[in-house]
Amino acid sequence: MKKLFALILALALVLSLTAGALADAKARSLDEIKESGKLVIGVFSDKKPFGYVDEYGEYQGYDVYFARRLAQDLGVELELVSVDAPNRVEYLTSAKVDIILANFTVTPERAEVVDFALPYMKVALGVVSPDAALITSIEDLRGKKLIVSKGTTAETWFTANEPEVELLKFDTYTETFNALLDGRGDALSTDNTEVLAWAIENPGFTVGIESLGSLDTIAPAVQKGNDTVLAYINEEIEALAAEQFFHADYEATLKDVYGDAVDPDNLVVEGGAIE
Amino acid sequence: MRDLAVLFKGNNPARLLGGLGVTLKLSLISVVLSIALGLVVGVLMTLKNPVVRAVTRLWLETVRIVPQLVLLFLVYFGMAKAFNLQMSGETAAVIVFTFWGAGEMGDLVRGAITSIPVHQRESGAALGLTQGQVWAHVLLPQAARRLVPQAINLTTRMIKTTSLVMLIGVVEVLKVGSQIIDAARYDAPQGAVWVYGAVFLLYFFACWPISLLAKHLEKQWACQEG
Amino acid sequence: MSGYVLEIKNLKKSFDGNGVLDGIDLAMGDGEVVVVVGPSGCGKSTLLRCVNGLETPDSGEILLDGAPISGMDMVQVRRQIGMVFQSYDLFPHMDVLGNLSLGPVKALKRSNDEVKAEAVQALARVGLADKLHALPRQLSGGQKQRVALVRAMLMHPRLLLLDEITAALDPEMVREVLNVVLDLARDGRTMLIVTHEMRFAEAVADRVLFLEGGKVVEEGRPADFFHHPQTPRARAFLDTFEFDTVKKA
Repeated sequence: MKKLFALILALALVLSLTAGALADAKARSLDEIKESGKLVIGVFSDKKPFGYVDEYGEYQGYDVYFARRLAQDLGVELELVSVDAPNRVEYLTSAKVDIILANFTVTPERAEVVDFALPYMKVALGVVSPDAALITSIEDLRGKKLIVSKGTTAETWFTANEPEVELLKFDTYTETFNALLDGRGDALSTDNTEVLAWAIENPGFTVGIESLGSLDTIAPAVQKGNDTVLAYINEEIEALAAEQFFHADYEATLKDVYGDAVDPDNLVVEGGAIE
Repeated sequence: MRDLAVLFKGNNPARLLGGLGVTLKLSLISVVLSIALGLVVGVLMTLKNPVVRAVTRLWLETVRIVPQLVLLFLVYFGMAKAFNLQMSGETAAVIVFTFWGAGEMGDLVRGAITSIPVHQRESGAALGLTQGQVWAHVLLPQAARRLVPQAINLTTRMIKTTSLVMLIGVVEVLKVGSQIIDAARYDAPQGAVWVYGAVFLLYFFACWPISLLAKHLEKQWACQEG
Repeated sequence: MSGYVLEIKNLKKSFDGNGVLDGIDLAMGDGEVVVVVGPSGCGKSTLLRCVNGLETPDSGEILLDGAPISGMDMVQVRRQIGMVFQSYDLFPHMDVLGNLSLGPVKALKRSNDEVKAEAVQALARVGLADKLHALPRQLSGGQKQRVALVRAMLMHPRLLLLDEITAALDPEMVREVLNVVLDLARDGRTMLIVTHEMRFAEAVADRVLFLEGGKVVEEGRPADFFHHPQTPRARAFLDTFEFDTVKKA
């Protein structure tokens, strides 16, 4: 009896999920958003410095700064919804939000389920090393021990492209950074946003290589086929290049974290154009 | 120790309490609805009607087998996609927790009712009470007394499970905690210990009075039972 | 109108093919007390339970004041027929007053104050004036059964059914309960009583019904039945209560 019920249930679940997967809830068009007077954007609420809530309960961060501008230029109010990495797509397909601005890295798989606008940020690999033996180029690294986390882009890229660099692998981020502190390796590589922020907090270490390897872009996303909203975001990104908006965004939100030493151009994308 | 200060930065204390408010609001609404519905469901579960039995059984198995998170996603995202039915995260949470709570509560009510000796029902009937009156004045009050410890257990479980609602965009106490930790990740890397400690205390002080109340009621009713 | 309070005609009832009542006939006049005796499992309790609808008869008829109860709303029937069970039938979550007033207030829609006044009086009559706010667990078995009797009487039933109300009591408490029943009999209450207390049966009954195997085997006035039983079965049954003829060797 119990098994039968379990079976029926499993069936019901699969059915309802497939039904859900078949069709997206109808996303709002740009006109509908204007009419409602409110733009709803999904952002992270606990991923500093991209989307977070400060100690006064206000949303802040690089993504939030842009979200505010999108609403302002549209002449509507902004409603921010707290989203998490695993359900960002769901928020779009179920039309809970109009736009996702949550450090969303563009990948071919994701591009099949949502529509990405032009990028407003880029991420590459960075290499951090002790000031005493600072590594500033890929040539410096050859024949040295590089610390990486298993399963990261860094591991994949160095294995494929720089066989002469000896890799020292750990399971977690904490272990890798501790290994660098202990001097078990000559340098450490992971996403440049991570190493840049870490180096600020750990005097005596500097990011000698700020941008390396394949470049990932970060872009706003809308529901598949929501062309009016997509077009609006793209127009905005292109137009905002004139005032170097994302550099201002960087100044306001990322500079505190990455410090003066970092070249904003290694992270920021203006006008959606990747050189 | 230095990082303890993160708890008191800005409006953080008020934000944590506000998050606790959301947690308690969602759980209390759900608990009240669950108890009210659970009483009806529990009575239905004691009926011999095979259709009613099958339906309530299916309900109970559903809430037991399907993780609450799946239910939350189904209601919040699934309903939107399948029927274009948009609702707030809080509404979805109350629906799911009530659906879950009423099923579990119904089974507890069923257990409590079937444990009442049959001559209690007959004595009530023999007094010329209607079936409804027998339920209202004889069976349910006695069932309630047997029910309290388990119902309290369900309530505290529900309070704790509400932390899942952060995944449908509702910011409750644990999410506020995680926001505070993250906002201070560079200034106070050890803040997490203090923030989670504070969240632990908030949960504790929310659930503790409920447990005390349960103990009190149990004691009071224990000396009434003949 | 037949003039009978209760009439039972050819009543039959079986459980899973086992005949428990096999054609019972009985007619009770107003104020009459009928005691049903017989060996365990003879169908005495089932008879009482059929009368107030806790069991549904397979066939036959039960008439209350001339009207067949099969055509009536059982709740209405039970408001006219009081019943007291073997034991444990007070509601443990209510005090004595709560137990007493539940039926009159909820079923008969009488006012709380009026019922309370009557309850106080009735309790005093059975010697429990000080127990108005006691909880059932604070009462002895005998006290509980007296409260149960009062509870049934406060409904002012046409007919009172007593189902072995002393069977679960310690011997020293039996008397106090039976005294209350005797009192009710003197008041002219119509009662159908099942009991194992033969002395009590003799004292309270206007008529005795001896039931065995689901049939009325013998019926008569108590003086006749207890002292000159007509059937061998009744004689054998009554002998089981006598120890005079048995001597320790």
